[in-house]
Amino acid sequence: MRKLWHVAWHEYTLNVFKKSFILVLLSVPLLIGGNIGLIVFMVSRENNYAPVGYVDHAGLLADPIPPPLGPSEEAITFLPFQTEEEARQALESQTIQAYYVVAPDYFEASRIELFYLKEPGENATRQFHDFIRANLLADQPPEIAHRAAAGNDVTVRTPDGRREFHGGPTLGAVAPVMLSIAFIVLLLMSSGYLMQAVVDEKENRTMEVLATSLSPAKLIGGKVLGIVGIGLTQLAAWLLVAILAVLLGGSILGIEWLQNPNLDWGPIFAVVAVAIPSYVLASALMVAVGSTVAQSQEGQQIGALFFMLFMIPLYAIRVIGETPNAAPSVVLTLLPFTSLMTVGFRSLFSVVPVWQIAASATIQTACAFGAVWLAGRAFRLGMLRYGQRLRLGEIIGKARVTTEGGSRS
Amino acid sequence: MYAAEVSHIAKSFGNTQAVADVSFAVERGEIFGLLGPNGSGKTTTLRVLLDVFKPDGGTVSILGGPMSEEKKNRIGYMPEERGLYQDLSLERCLLYLSTLKGVPAKEARKRLAEHLERFDLAEHKGKKVKELSKGMQQKAQIINTILHRPELIVIDEPFTALDPLNTQLVKDLMKELRDEGSTIIMSTHQMHQVEELCDRILLIDDGRDMLYGDLDQIRRQYSGHAVLVRLAGDLPDVEGVEQVLPHNNATKLMLAEGTSPQDVLQALIAQRVIVERFEIAIPTLDEIFIRVVEEGDA
Repeated sequence: MRKLWHVAWHEYTLNVFKKSFILVLLSVPLLIGGNIGLIVFMVSRENNYAPVGYVDHAGLLADPIPPPLGPSEEAITFLPFQTEEEARQALESQTIQAYYVVAPDYFEASRIELFYLKEPGENATRQFHDFIRANLLADQPPEIAHRAAAGNDVTVRTPDGRREFHGGPTLGAVAPVMLSIAFIVLLLMSSGYLMQAVVDEKENRTMEVLATSLSPAKLIGGKVLGIVGIGLTQLAAWLLVAILAVLLGGSILGIEWLQNPNLDWGPIFAVVAVAIPSYVLASALMVAVGSTVAQSQEGQQIGALFFMLFMIPLYAIRVIGETPNAAPSVVLTLLPFTSLMTVGFRSLFSVVPVWQIAASATIQTACAFGAVWLAGRAFRLGMLRYGQRLRLGEIIGKARVTTEGGSRS
Repeated sequence: MYAAEVSHIAKSFGNTQAVADVSFAVERGEIFGLLGPNGSGKTTTLRVLLDVFKPDGGTVSILGGPMSEEKKNRIGYMPEERGLYQDLSLERCLLYLSTLKGVPAKEARKRLAEHLERFDLAEHKGKKVKELSKGMQQKAQIINTILHRPELIVIDEPFTALDPLNTQLVKDLMKELRDEGSTIIMSTHQMHQVEELCDRILLIDDGRDMLYGDLDQIRRQYSGHAVLVRLAGDLPDVEGVEQVLPHNNATKLMLAEGTSPQDVLQALIAQRVIVERFEIAIPTLDEIFIRVVEEGDA
């Protein structure tokens, strides 16, 4: 077992301390963080916290009630002016960023005019609307005022009625989709490393030295472990960034969507149950590919094909969304490669039956075992095929796994 | 108990018979030469011996039985296909491979420092393997083969790419390892190295044993067909001499079938020729090699 761990540690340190790995590791959270930062910056540029004036000809704001504010929202000061002339002077002297004129016939015509030199901040406009609404509802009973202030309450319900969202999917609802995508990215990156690790042994001509130092099972096992470690390092880093983003977004930026994630563990476990055998399946197939091809470039091309197979549900997302429990969705759930993303998508629109998750996990596991068997054969047959491809027929067709390949001298 | 014993092994790849019938045994503590022309099946024989390939027929015993994971730590192998991790530093590459042979990392580091010093590679330990010359890589391969102090060392063409100085270094090392009790199986084309180093040899051709045994005995076995003479005067006609060839400060007389060196000596003395030098010409391994292979082809 020590040799297996030596191989695992070697593979892990060989990749994890590479500049390219650190760059990839940091690039995903940096990219997401950069995008969020850009959005926050753009939003902040649209806000203006200078006071806003108003001239009330309708008597709506005679005894003004301040507008309700969000958890981290900064209040805008609303300054009353007796005349439009006073308001205009304040605007020109830049005491206020804009002013509203509530028309005398406001209660009949709902007419309000806005005057500004430079378009006022989006926050100022929003708060003034809330200000008007709060004062319009001032004489209503509290429950009616509260309901009216709450605005539209839309419930989105799936056709089978088994899943619904109020106002939009929660973080908990999209978590399985995000998890399945994260697993696919992780799986493709990890299995790419694995294929490269096997191809490297062939390119470096180290197969014979290794074959006389440890068993192929320990060699492949060690490589898989090392690369799983690399994948877990990536996943841990991403999860850490995601948790930090949720905490920061929820508590500091006050993003309500992040404050109440409402995690539903059932779909998350379903994704994990399918993801683990899918991981083994892809890894084993990559070993088989690495053992089969002559050069790493060829392997990368075949690896891209696997990526396309995993992404098939993306092209069928409309079908999955409209009919999450119809035959096409069920078939995609059960098939190898497509199941991982399909389970994630279906969890968003419906509740995937337990039997389908169990059947999918079983099929993935069976395929994974088959792929490991195939990888073992391919490795033994292909390890001394330098610069030569191994044909699939050779791997499957030959009965004796340890007798092929090689040269005479 | 032999260090390695191979009995009637056969191995085919598709329709190609790489090894048809090879048998030999390697004594502990000897340097054993595996010889043969290109494509004769030497490398396949070594791979079967080391369990890289399973034989189609025959049996292999190594260090007293079939190959096992534990035995792999007691065997050092330098294959024909030289392999080191080109993008790793020399030190890291050799340390990793030695840990796969069961050497603890600390001990491996200590041994490696000694070997790098001896092979004049210490100042290059931080360089990537691909930055080293072929000769340096060859020396690194040899270090990798012996760093874990194996009982049995199997080397395929150990002198390739080495200059005379490093060739001598490797030869001295091999003798030293033998004296310390290691067994060495060496496959090579360089017959003069075999003559200098090997105790016993196996010559294979077309996947079959052609010649096997003690090197001195084999050479004696193939001697008797020529004598070296130096005379005070001219060489007279001697019955049974087929060919006369100049040979350094002497003359080489090639004898006909049925003529012994004693017959030639008696004939010279009978003709009252003053014989300054008379010795049976021991054939070189090169000559034996060519003769055996040509006879085999015929």
